Amino acid sequence: MTLDSIPIHVIESSPAEPGLSGNAPPLLHELEEMVRRLLDSGETSAIDLGALPLTPADLDWLRIGLGEGEIAVTLHANGESTLSETASPGVWWVTHRNEKGAVTSEFIEVAFVPELVKAHPQDVKMGLERLELLISDLS
Amino acid sequence: MKGPLIDTLVRQGVSRRTFMKYCATLASMMALPPSAGLAMAEAMASARRPSVIWLPFQECTGCTESITRSHSPTLEGMIFDLISLDYQETLMAAAGHQAEEARLNAMKENAGKYLLIVDGSIPLDLDGAYSCIGGRSNLDILKEAAEGCAAIVAMGSCASFGGIPKANPNPTGAVSVSDVIKDKPIVNIPGCPPIPVVMTGVLAHYLTFGSLPELDDKGRPKAFYGETIHDRCYRRPFYDQGKFAKTFDDEGARQGWCLFELGCKGPVTYNACATAKWNGGTSWPVESGHGCLGCSEPDFWDAGGFYKALSMPADPLKIAAAAAVAGAAVGVGLSFANRAKKGAAKAAHETTTLADLEK
Repeated sequence: MTLDSIPIHVIESSPAEPGLSGNAPPLLHELEEMVRRLLDSGETSAIDLGALPLTPADLDWLRIGLGEGEIAVTLHANGESTLSETASPGVWWVTHRNEKGAVTSEFIEVAFVPELVKAHPQDVKMGLERLELLISDLS
Repeated sequence: MKGPLIDTLVRQGVSRRTFMKYCATLASMMALPPSAGLAMAEAMASARRPSVIWLPFQECTGCTESITRSHSPTLEGMIFDLISLDYQETLMAAAGHQAEEARLNAMKENAGKYLLIVDGSIPLDLDGAYSCIGGRSNLDILKEAAEGCAAIVAMGSCASFGGIPKANPNPTGAVSVSDVIKDKPIVNIPGCPPIPVVMTGVLAHYLTFGSLPELDDKGRPKAFYGETIHDRCYRRPFYDQGKFAKTFDDEGARQGWCLFELGCKGPVTYNACATAKWNGGTSWPVESGHGCLGCSEPDFWDAGGFYKALSMPADPLKIAAAAAVAGAAVGVGLSFANRAKKGAAKAAHETTTLADLEK
């Protein structure tokens, strides 16, 4: 008996693309609300993508939908992190990687500038000391 | 070591951003809101270094393997360096009387303040003779070390619940730490082995807030054990849609559908594998195509078979009302489908089936 001889009633698979769970589209509504809050009160917020049941296809769908913006920041600290603005300014796609390049956490951040990009006053102070040292070496 | 943590880190060449990034990831793993990462970074940066004594009892060293593996060049490793690990048989250079002396000294110098980590269960039969260190029973050593500690961390399923040594018929009379010690705060970090970052997360919490994290009714930190594997599983949508792999090599398995019918214990297992993952975030059991064994639950070894589907739908009380109805319907349908399938398989005497694996 071959497989062909078994009568099979093929049910059309769902019209959605394979691998899509349908959990990604609601996030767009949440993002919309977060961007409004940023505009109204300056409040920043973030969605932790690692905490949600999203398939790799969902993440791709979201990433492609949000698009690419003008700015992408690369942070070299204990592995590479990328903070990329999406086509909607104020919405940032943040990916943290370890030294081996594996993704350790992933967020969508809503902020004018992500907190991680700003320099901390303490660090700026150390930078100032370094500058002063450079200048004192000139003389 | 003196001074706040961030100063020590800066001396070791760790930048503030590296630290903030670590805290963001840690907050994500601990299922805290993304904004908590910043707060943690601020609190932890000013933390100081506590003394830690690690006692190994009836164990396989798998827990130590797990924790050391994830560390070495990462910041987690540095945080680990930033506690004063005064006794750890596997890792310490000292041996014999020197090692025991280090333990006694640490206990004396930090009386009432040190953190005690225990991995492995404690055998009670034959007066504890089944497992001894330096001629003394585990029970004896545990009682002595527990007396002056601030808190105990029971590492792994053996220390937390008795684990595999306690599996039927429990030849050594193995018990958990909480069966022996009743007057100290105990946090259970079960898992066989536990996820490395869960361990460092609890230590980070201790550094940050100076206390142990909030625990569930089994003594596990809610941050990591607050939700089931099933709740956070990326295959969960397929469960909700009623799409199940029926064997390990069918179309459903290839499509990455839910492994519930293949015996996945995800719905009743509280752990962070689905989010924290393993081997530096590479993968985890369900992602590699095998159901969850439930290793962070008490008596998982005797829970009725790794390849038997749970007879109950996934914790119906925990799902929202509408989903619960759908879930229950799926669950009931399943148990019937399973029974029918097993019967048919038996009748047709097919090649190896799941039922055979259970024999």
